[in-house]
Amino acid sequence: MNTVKESGVGQAIDRVEGHLKVTGKAKYASEFPVENKVYAQGINSTIAKGEIVSIDTSQAEKQDGVLKVITYKNAEKLKTFDKEMTAIGTDSIAPVLQSNKVNYYGEYVGLVVAETFEQAQYAARLVKFEYKKDPSAVIKFEESRSKAYTPNNGSNYSRGDMQKGLSEADMVVEQTYNTPIEHHHPMELHAIIASWENGKVMAYASQQMVDDATIAISSTFQIPKKDVRVVSAFVGGGFGSKLNLERHAIMAVMAAKIVGRPVQVTVTRTQMFTNTGMRQQNEQKMRIGAKNDGTLTALSHETLSHTSTNMEYQEPCGMVSKMLYNVPNNEVTYKLIPMNIQTPFAMRAPGEATGSFALESAMDEMAWKLKMDPIDFRIKNDTQTDLHENRPFSSRLLVECLRIGADKFGWKDRKMEPGTNRKGNWLIGYGVSAASRNSPYQKTYSKVILDLEDDGKVHATIQMDGTDIGTGSYTIIAQTASEYLNIPVEQVSVELGDSNFPVTPGSGGSWGAASYCNGARAACENAVKGLKDNRNIPQDEDVALAELLKRNQIKTFEAEGMAEPSKEFEEYSVFSFGANFCEVWVDKDTGMYRIKRMVNVGSAGKILNPKTAYGQIIGGLTMGAGMVIAEKTQVEPNFGNFITRSFADYHVPVNLDMANIDVVFLPEEDKIANKMGIKGIGELGITSVAASIANAIFNATGKRMRDLPITPEKLIEAEVEEGVSLS
Amino acid sequence: MKDIDKWKKNADLENLSDDEKMILDEMGLSGSSRRKFLKQVSAASLSIWASSYFTSELFASNMKDLPDNPQVLLNEVKVNLRVNEMVKPLTLDSRMSLLDALRERLALTGTKKGCDHGQCGACTVIIDGKRNLSCLTLAATCEGKEITTVEGLVKHGEMHPMQKAFLKHDGFQCGYCTPGQICSSVALLEEAKNGEASYVTEDLKKIEENLNLSEEEIRERMSGNICRCGAYNNIVQAFKEVHSGDDEMPTWEFATQEQMEKAKKA
Repeated sequence: MNTVKESGVGQAIDRVEGHLKVTGKAKYASEFPVENKVYAQGINSTIAKGEIVSIDTSQAEKQDGVLKVITYKNAEKLKTFDKEMTAIGTDSIAPVLQSNKVNYYGEYVGLVVAETFEQAQYAARLVKFEYKKDPSAVIKFEESRSKAYTPNNGSNYSRGDMQKGLSEADMVVEQTYNTPIEHHHPMELHAIIASWENGKVMAYASQQMVDDATIAISSTFQIPKKDVRVVSAFVGGGFGSKLNLERHAIMAVMAAKIVGRPVQVTVTRTQMFTNTGMRQQNEQKMRIGAKNDGTLTALSHETLSHTSTNMEYQEPCGMVSKMLYNVPNNEVTYKLIPMNIQTPFAMRAPGEATGSFALESAMDEMAWKLKMDPIDFRIKNDTQTDLHENRPFSSRLLVECLRIGADKFGWKDRKMEPGTNRKGNWLIGYGVSAASRNSPYQKTYSKVILDLEDDGKVHATIQMDGTDIGTGSYTIIAQTASEYLNIPVEQVSVELGDSNFPVTPGSGGSWGAASYCNGARAACENAVKGLKDNRNIPQDEDVALAELLKRNQIKTFEAEGMAEPSKEFEEYSVFSFGANFCEVWVDKDTGMYRIKRMVNVGSAGKILNPKTAYGQIIGGLTMGAGMVIAEKTQVEPNFGNFITRSFADYHVPVNLDMANIDVVFLPEEDKIANKMGIKGIGELGITSVAASIANAIFNATGKRMRDLPITPEKLIEAEVEEGVSLS
Repeated sequence: MKDIDKWKKNADLENLSDDEKMILDEMGLSGSSRRKFLKQVSAASLSIWASSYFTSELFASNMKDLPDNPQVLLNEVKVNLRVNEMVKPLTLDSRMSLLDALRERLALTGTKKGCDHGQCGACTVIIDGKRNLSCLTLAATCEGKEITTVEGLVKHGEMHPMQKAFLKHDGFQCGYCTPGQICSSVALLEEAKNGEASYVTEDLKKIEENLNLSEEEIRERMSGNICRCGAYNNIVQAFKEVHSGDDEMPTWEFATQEQMEKAKKA
């Protein structure tokens, strides 16, 4: 058995829930044994805009086993939005089947409930909808620029004088970078088993944020929050798509009420394109001005994106451009085109993943123009002050990330001139990019239950409604309890993902680790303190936990804890930083390329478990590589449907696409971030990866690829950049 | 929640199989602590921590504890499914995939539905020694075949070496593609032994039995199993270790104080 030293915070222990996952015993939403359950299948609209004029459910209803066909005509009345263009949030209501209006291709228009999955699936195809199409549907991004509006959320920003900054510059880079619609595609299809018992909702659902899911259900059905219980014990990946409650879940709850039996809905992979969120297309125009010595004088980042016609989401692509470099004149703006496509929502590192592709590509372009090493150029413009918030960073080791990474990677072997490193038919390129990601931390409650066992050991159970979406929450919370209770991790159980447990902010936005662990820490500290106070034992006296329970003459003890950001936290900008290095080999004739190796250096505060943290980093790098090599959701320009609607057409990285990855963590003490110094690492990995690969492709080929994904055909057709002389 | 109550009652009576006892022992729970643990946890968490251990027992000994037959069944077909060395007579809809039969009728939810279209590999099971996509296999066609799921790789409470290697090398994150990855990996060990060729086999004339797969070969042959969390490198390490018998070292490290100081000064 491990000792605390071997299993506490910072140790590379195996995941505590790992044995359940490798043996198939971990229970995901649709796997809970619920008696008497039936199955439902959603039906999607086949027009982008218009009205349903007639529905024929007779064929479907005639089928044996079909219990109910639900459309707007017989659906339960739900809470709908009070105003147009409501901003989408993680606890938004999710009204569905409330009118005959269709706002995008793929919107739910019906649900079939049947005894078996096969019956529901077949009968769903038999429901006939007739539509009246509205020809004013907006489905072409490029042709709809004039419809763009400035979002009303105050996200536009400027400091200094952009024009002055540009006029002071010796060199200006002005380029536009495009990223397409992308989809999260966690491996677990969104699923729910919903039932009603005595007017209360019980839902096993695949959600990242359990508390917000209960809010969404209760406010959509206008029932008290206490009458809704959501369990998300294991979540098969989320990446943002399971932050909010999607409409299939509301349909399941509604259907369960109507048929009076538990209803299971598992969305299809095709519905994962149209009904569970997405990252929208972004057109990012960058303008950078710099002096010949590399000093930045101006930086502007204008983003044109789209949202749906009835809800607003704006990805903060310019986030990084506001704070990463020491540039006095800065402007960040956003515009959105309302389109007849589903509402986009946060996908892993919203803002950073896409924004840093634009920024870090443009920085590489400027370094090339200045004939400066791109690492030196970034270091020259480093800052220890967040010029956006006008306050210091709690800690910032970006320069160390870049330099240590350069050594590890062998950056000195990089050729400044593109196309000069060759091996047979291969053109070899090295690329670098800098990364930063906000490290939020939110109020978290937690409970610990201590039990003194007959063998004299104390077993601790930690409870909170937080989730483990693959991030390692179970493990790092267990390690935290081990550390603060001074017992081995084997004596700790962690119970998560149940809305009956104390409230946490859930998993998302890189706040999970800091919030959950500090919450667990607070509960454990309170337990020890309470046990000592009861017996007037001085707080600084070192007494083993079992001994404390014995001295209290009790066998069990419970304590709750709450952790939240300090005042000091608010006075600093708290970010994690990183550097990505990449070697790419491009076939000079076919444009096919391979990522040969990657090095990532991260300074992300206290690394709670390097094994799981490594997983977060390589996962981010892999998804970032996907942005470059393949991922793109294609909108059909006449009908507004997605042409890509399965893994056969929307390609995500597979095993052979990836290469060896070395990850270096910097030892970082940042007690301003929070008491445990945790900064979160789930999104740092994906930030700016795309740029490091694109920059490596430039270094290999002399071609600047500004539109993702970079496919071989695009690469073959691209012109060599002006000023590059390929021998 | 009738089943859960039953399991809970069984647990209170210490009416556990050897496998289940071992797992609870591994969790450091014995005697009164085990009873207390099982009493304390909510119905939901009991399902997480305990029901999974009980599922195999139910499956093995007590058919009536499996999900009830659907009240209305169409296109009825009778099939004896032989899964994890146990024969289960089932009456099912002829359209039912093996994947849905395992998950919805036999409570073997270790096999995962990731796309239902044969594009992601999450539903991979081993049929007659070969890896197969259970979502593209009709259950009705499986009469007489030997099906092994991720649950069946555990023998007498002992995990398969591949399962242990995935755990050790963190060859997963969310865990949803994991059963498919593991079933693929286990079958791949056999493919290598049999000397089967792949898309990246360099010389088809030179194939021999007991192939020593290169990293490129492993990556290619595991590319039918998507891991959106991106644990590919760890999966490769886990496979390599079982395949070669040599320990694989982690590829993460902490920067040294010396490196930090050098980087600061440079």
